[in-house]
Amino acid sequence: MKAVGARLPRYDGVGHVTGQTQFVDDVRVREMLWAKALRSPHHHAAITRMDTSKAEAMPGVEAVITHADVPLLEYGHLSALGIPADEPLLAKDEVRYKGQPIALVAAEDADTARAGVEAIEIDYEERPTLFDVRKAFDDDAPTVHRWGNWYPHFEGEMDRRQIRKGNIEEAFEAADTIVSGVYRPAAIEHAPLETQVSMVVPEPDGRLTVYSCTQALYFSLGVMAAHLQVPLNRLKVVGGTVGGGFGGKVDTASETVTALAAMKANRPVKWRWTREEEFLASSTRAPWHMEIIDAVTSDGWILGRKMLTLHDSGAYARFSPYGLTKHSFHHTGAYTIPNLHFDGYVVFTNRVPTTAMRGFGVTSVSFATETHMSRIADVLGLDPFEVRLKNANRINDTSPNMITYPDPSTVDVVLSIAEATDHSLDDAYMSMSRAQRSGDMLPEHLAAQIGEGHEHASLHALVHGVDNDSEGN
Amino acid sequence: MSIDVLIPESVDAAAEAYGDGRDVTVVGGGTIVVQLMTQGWLRPTRALMLSKAGLSYVRKSGSAVTVGAMTPVTDVADLFAPLGPCAANVGDNEIRAQATVGGNLCAPTPPEHPSGDLQGPLLALDASVRSTGAGGESTETVEEFLTHRDARLVLDLSFEEPVAGAFAALDRPHAHHPTALAVSAVKAGDGSIRLAATGAGPTAIRLSSAEAAADDPEAAGQAALADADLQDDALASAWYRERMLPLLVQRVLNEIKEV
Amino acid sequence: MNITLNGVSRQISSPPLTPLLRVLRNELNVVSAKAGCEAGGCGACTVLVDGRPQRSCLTAVGSLNGAAVTTLEGLGTSENLSAVQQAFVHHYAAQCGFCTPGMVVAATAYLDAGGSDDKEAIQEALGGHVCRCTGYLKIVNAIAAAATQSEFDLTITAEEPNVVVKTGGR
Repeated sequence: MKAVGARLPRYDGVGHVTGQTQFVDDVRVREMLWAKALRSPHHHAAITRMDTSKAEAMPGVEAVITHADVPLLEYGHLSALGIPADEPLLAKDEVRYKGQPIALVAAEDADTARAGVEAIEIDYEERPTLFDVRKAFDDDAPTVHRWGNWYPHFEGEMDRRQIRKGNIEEAFEAADTIVSGVYRPAAIEHAPLETQVSMVVPEPDGRLTVYSCTQALYFSLGVMAAHLQVPLNRLKVVGGTVGGGFGGKVDTASETVTALAAMKANRPVKWRWTREEEFLASSTRAPWHMEIIDAVTSDGWILGRKMLTLHDSGAYARFSPYGLTKHSFHHTGAYTIPNLHFDGYVVFTNRVPTTAMRGFGVTSVSFATETHMSRIADVLGLDPFEVRLKNANRINDTSPNMITYPDPSTVDVVLSIAEATDHSLDDAYMSMSRAQRSGDMLPEHLAAQIGEGHEHASLHALVHGVDNDSEGN
Repeated sequence: MSIDVLIPESVDAAAEAYGDGRDVTVVGGGTIVVQLMTQGWLRPTRALMLSKAGLSYVRKSGSAVTVGAMTPVTDVADLFAPLGPCAANVGDNEIRAQATVGGNLCAPTPPEHPSGDLQGPLLALDASVRSTGAGGESTETVEEFLTHRDARLVLDLSFEEPVAGAFAALDRPHAHHPTALAVSAVKAGDGSIRLAATGAGPTAIRLSSAEAAADDPEAAGQAALADADLQDDALASAWYRERMLPLLVQRVLNEIKEV
Repeated sequence: MNITLNGVSRQISSPPLTPLLRVLRNELNVVSAKAGCEAGGCGACTVLVDGRPQRSCLTAVGSLNGAAVTTLEGLGTSENLSAVQQAFVHHYAAQCGFCTPGMVVAATAYLDAGGSDDKEAIQEALGGHVCRCTGYLKIVNAIAAAATQSEFDLTITAEEPNVVVKTGGR
């Protein structure tokens, strides 16, 4: 424990303050080309014609890359886990969001590369757009994805993430009051100071050295090798210095296309996005639409929860099925609700694809559940701390996906907040602990699932699409 | 793509290089045009850099003030209201030191939001603008100048220190944002009041109806809405501006009354 | 034309409308100033021109003939950190490090101009600089500490450190 309590300087602090830290854009190599992208000006359109010959003939232009140059056009970050891929590296016959990359031009300087992009002849046929997840299920909604408007491949064939636990009908019959709420956190751009950037250097031995701002170097390695159809040992990915990521640099955003240009030109190529491109086309945190309907008793117990989540994935799936899965596991927040009916959909829209950002999938539902706890207290005229403390997870309570909590801290955290905010509580609440439920804390509606000796609640639980054997992981 | 760049070293040389202004991109401090060129949104064939033209000066003679077009915004930030407080509220520390008074007066109106923060105070001060271009040198009011500012090379601005002045603006969420809405007020020696707003139209506008009702700040605030052309943009909605403009007008009039 | 860069006279061959940032990075290979937005909005490209902080991305190099330009490389080395650099390390004011060159340059100019440890004044002076990581508190604290000429021991204070920290550059 030598580090605890010690004041340890950052290992990179001196490099940062002297300017010696080398970011991707700072790496100098000879004969480097600059790349610029042709991006979709439309939110949704068919590409009816594309001719790159004038760009290719332009003096100073050394490579033009389109979908036709990509050995494996579609490959996803979760493909290795068996999740089907849906996103082309470069758009082929359809663009599904504004800013989607279509072609890359590598040239002697940035201005020439931009002129090359402008010399690409391309025709579009605009298609109807979808931006509101609530309209995705309408009969007359435009179809924005080849799989339809929502992801159909949970566990291979399910079109939703679904959780059924306990007996939701009985919970609503027994309720004194129904409390409902709709929660819609918006998209957030990660806004790193360093925009997406990579540089790829073809080495004499046939390998590619890839300098990347990635947060996920081994994702980049695997995804590049798959798209390029080369063995992993052809790629040397250099990462580690990231000018801010915040989750937005988990996707392999620029490396693969840059590599194709470097291979075609047989020269080093750098592709650094402009600030405008970063805001237009880099992935964001997803917007979510969450509807919660709770069956509650007048003394503040939550008997059951019905929840519908529409996860706005943007134009392609990326990590969203994973994000929604985490979301579903956490949809009761830090509280125990024995009867659940959860449906969640990954919905496709013509927005930029969404991705990781600090606990993605969970932050959205935490916002919704915590706000809803206070709403329940408001509706019932109860203290919001007391409602939280009653329903707070206790040892051996079970999560929506039937994980047993061995040592949950909700009670301690809520009591700490009460203390820190000088919120006075009755002794009955002040003396609460995380100990396994008994007595008043084990009312009838919880007894069925969380009883003495903790008979596993699978008698009453049916969890679709969730690995019931993953308890304790 | 080579650009013909002229760097004149006197006012006369600058005027000659500018000529009738056709196809000439003027680079003052650079804070507006350099980024447009970087993004490829502006591709000049001929450029006139004014950094050595001798147009950076603040001259005072009694109550008369003359400010050269290339004077950094910082250098007028400690002048009287409404110009001083407005200048101090432009951009950030570095931008104010680089951006010029003439460049700010001539700022193009981008589609996203209003620009040219100093136009309002200069309009309220009834500044006269000395400029050159087709037909040679001329001097005119700010109102007249704003109508054809993209075809003139501003040389300097002259105005009188007012009996009283006031400036009020909405807070900016970030130092890089132009002001969403601001109102400038000036009281002349004869007691007459001039009011101008930035962010209430494509360029700064004079609030003549509000001036006519200036004795009653509340009424003047409401009257100002008749002068304004309020739009939704990236900085604020027309709805919001409609509610804020009367308050800002009231604020400057009350401030000026106390003087 | 030529400029004096970090005390050394340098010939410039880029066209006069080229932004100083690109001259520094692409022609002169001096890369501490960063291209965060190339629109003047983030501050990461800030350098000193004749001692005053300026956005190199907005500065046409043709306006600088004969000027003295100082980048972060000219302010201190890993063996001989300036007061501001030491304070930034000590106060953890650099996280990802991308905004840091502009922050340190602007903070140096602020203190050289007689700036105090008044935190509102520091915020005003650094108001055009964006940091996405630290929330600014550590940066403001570092500059305030540098203003009071605090001295920092940047070595590990644990008795038997189990983390090896190199203080030299790469």
